[in-house]
Amino acid sequence: MKLSKRGLNTAAYVVFIALILAAPLVFDVFWLNRLSKYLVFGMLGAAIALSWGYAGVLNLGQGLFFGLGAYAIAMSLKLASATSLAQGSDTPIPDFMLWNAEPGAPTELCCITQGSFLWIPFQHTWFGILMGIVLPVVVALALGLIMFRKRISGVFISIITLAVVLLVRLLIVQAQPLTNGFNGLTDLGYLTVLGLEFDPYMPQTYYLIAISLALVLIGTRMLVETRSGLILQAIRDDDRRARFLGFDVPRYQAFFFCVSAAISGYAGMLYVMASEFASPTFMDLSFSITMVVWAAVGGRNSVLGACIGALLINMIEATVSETPALMEAWRVVIGLAFVFAVLFLPRGLAGLAMSLRDWLVARSAAEPRSLAEPAPAEERS
Amino acid sequence: MPSTLIGADPASAALTLDGLTVDFAGFRAVDTVSTVIESGELRVLLGANGAGKTTLMDLVSGKTRPTTGRVFLGDIEITGLEEHRIAQAGLGRKFQIPSVFRDLSVRRNLEVASCRNPGVFANLRLGFSLAQTRRVEEILAVVGLESKQEVEAGSLSHGETQWLELGMLMAQDPKVILLDEPTAGMTEAETMKTAAIIKAMRGRHTIVVVEHDMAFVREIASRITVMHLGRILAEGPIAEIETNPDVRAAYLGSKGIQ
Repeated sequence: MKLSKRGLNTAAYVVFIALILAAPLVFDVFWLNRLSKYLVFGMLGAAIALSWGYAGVLNLGQGLFFGLGAYAIAMSLKLASATSLAQGSDTPIPDFMLWNAEPGAPTELCCITQGSFLWIPFQHTWFGILMGIVLPVVVALALGLIMFRKRISGVFISIITLAVVLLVRLLIVQAQPLTNGFNGLTDLGYLTVLGLEFDPYMPQTYYLIAISLALVLIGTRMLVETRSGLILQAIRDDDRRARFLGFDVPRYQAFFFCVSAAISGYAGMLYVMASEFASPTFMDLSFSITMVVWAAVGGRNSVLGACIGALLINMIEATVSETPALMEAWRVVIGLAFVFAVLFLPRGLAGLAMSLRDWLVARSAAEPRSLAEPAPAEERS
Repeated sequence: MPSTLIGADPASAALTLDGLTVDFAGFRAVDTVSTVIESGELRVLLGANGAGKTTLMDLVSGKTRPTTGRVFLGDIEITGLEEHRIAQAGLGRKFQIPSVFRDLSVRRNLEVASCRNPGVFANLRLGFSLAQTRRVEEILAVVGLESKQEVEAGSLSHGETQWLELGMLMAQDPKVILLDEPTAGMTEAETMKTAAIIKAMRGRHTIVVVEHDMAFVREIASRITVMHLGRILAEGPIAEIETNPDVRAAYLGSKGIQ
C-alpha cells in the first residue's frame, strides 16, 4: 500500500478522536471526569502550539485567557447554584457577597458590595458563555495590537504576558467582595443548556468536552493550513521579509493571538464544568509555564502533538500521585522531561512521530510499484 | 510629479526620487538624491562602501524614513509609508543578507509571496488558484529550484537561497524591484546564473540593483548611477561612466572599470 504524509497525518487525528470518543466504554465516571479535565488541558496544549509553534509567540500568560473564560462561566453558574437562590432575596446573590457586604447593605446584586452590579448580566447563562470567549479575545486583541504594532518579539513578549497574568491574578485576589479572592468561585450550579444538564459526573459532560476538543483540533489544523496560516508561519520565520512582501504583520500576529486566546477561554469554561470551581490558581505562573512544558514535550509545531503531550503528562502525573513518595519526585521528573525535550527532542514527541511517518512513506514509496498505480502525492507535514 | 524633474516623462517613470535626504544626527548618509528610473529600466547603483546605496534602498522601501525629499512609485507618493504599504503599492526588495522563510518549503515560500491580497481574513482559505500554481511553477523553472521545491528553505545553499529570494520577488510581482548585492558571496558560475535570472526578470519589472561585481554589471546594466558620500556623482550609460574622470577619481581608480 502506498502511504502519503497527508494520509498518515489524517489517520493520526482520526485515531486520536476515535479513542477519546470511545473512552466512556472503558472508564468509570470517576476516571471519565478526570480524563475530561485532561482533555481540557489538551485543548490548552493546542492553543500553545498555535501561538508558540506556528506564530513564534511564546506566551507565558496563557493562563490569563483560561482564567478569564473560567471566571466568566463560573459567575453565571454561581448565580445558578442553589445557595445563591437561598440568600433571602428575589434574585440570586452569591453567598460570599453576603459575608463581604458592609453592614446594612441591601441584599441586591446592584449594590451589595462594591462592583457587584457587574454580576447582573451573568444571571443569564448565555451571557456568561459569551463572555467566556469575548473577554479573552478582547484582552488578547488589545494586548496583541500594542505588542505587535510596537514590533515587540521573542523574550519580551514572554515577559509582558507573564507580567499581565500575574497582575490580573493579583486584581482578582484583591477584589475579594467581587470575586471571593483567594477562595475562588466554588459551590457552582450545573450548566443547563436547552434543557440538557451538564453534571460533571455524567457522560454528556465528557462527550461535550471530547467533541469540543475534536473540533478545536480539526479547526486549528485547518486554520494553519489556510493561506493565512502559511503567512503566519512565514512571519514567524522572518517578519521583515513578510513585511516587505506587503503583509500587515501585526494584524496576522494579533489575529492568531486572539484565536489562541479564544481556545484557551473556551477551555477555561469547559474546565469549570468538569471541576465545578474557578480559582485564581488558574492564573498562577506555574500553571502557565506547565502548559508550555506540555507543548514542548508533545511538540510545539504540531497541534495534535502538543495536545497529546498535555494528556500524557497529566495521565502519568495522576498515576504517579497515587504514591506519596513519587508525588514529590514528580516535579523533578517534569523538569527533567522539559530539559530532555529541549535538548534532544526540539520537535517533541510529534517530531519523533513525524520521523517515523516520513520513514514509512519513504519505505512504501521504495516498494516496487504495482501497475498503473499513481505515485504518492508529495505532501508537507 | 515633482517640479524639479522637468524633462522626465511622467508616464514612463517607474520610480522617482526627488531630493531624497536622510540625516542621522548630523551625518547625511543620503544627500539630496534625485533621479528618475524609467519603466522597464535596469539601473545599477555603484559606489564604494559607505556611499549610501543601501541607505537609499532603505529610504525607498520604507525601512528608514527620509528627513526631506519625496519618493514616487509611478505617480503615487510613497514617502514615509510603512513597509507593507509600500510593498502593496508595488515595490519589492531583496536584502543583502538573503532572507527567506527558513522552515517552509521552497514551494511554500513562493506561494506565500504570491498571495496578492494582504488581508488576514481574505486569506482564510485553503489552497491556491490555478494561475498562482502555474506561476509558481514557472518561477521554480526560472530560478532552477524545481528539484528542491519540497526542501525546507533553511537547508538551501547560499546561492540557492539568493535565487529563491529572487523567485519570491517574481511571485510578489511588484512594478519596481530593488536588489541589494544579489551576487554577494557567490562563485563566478553562480554570479552568471544570477545575471541570467535578473535578465529574465527584466521587462516585466523595473529593477534597481546595487552591485560591485563589474563583470556582472557589464553583463546586465543599461544605465548606471554612481554614488559617492551620499550624493549622486554621475549617471549615464556604462561607456560614459567608465570614462567619467570624477568617477575614476572617486571610485574606480585610474585603471577604469576592470
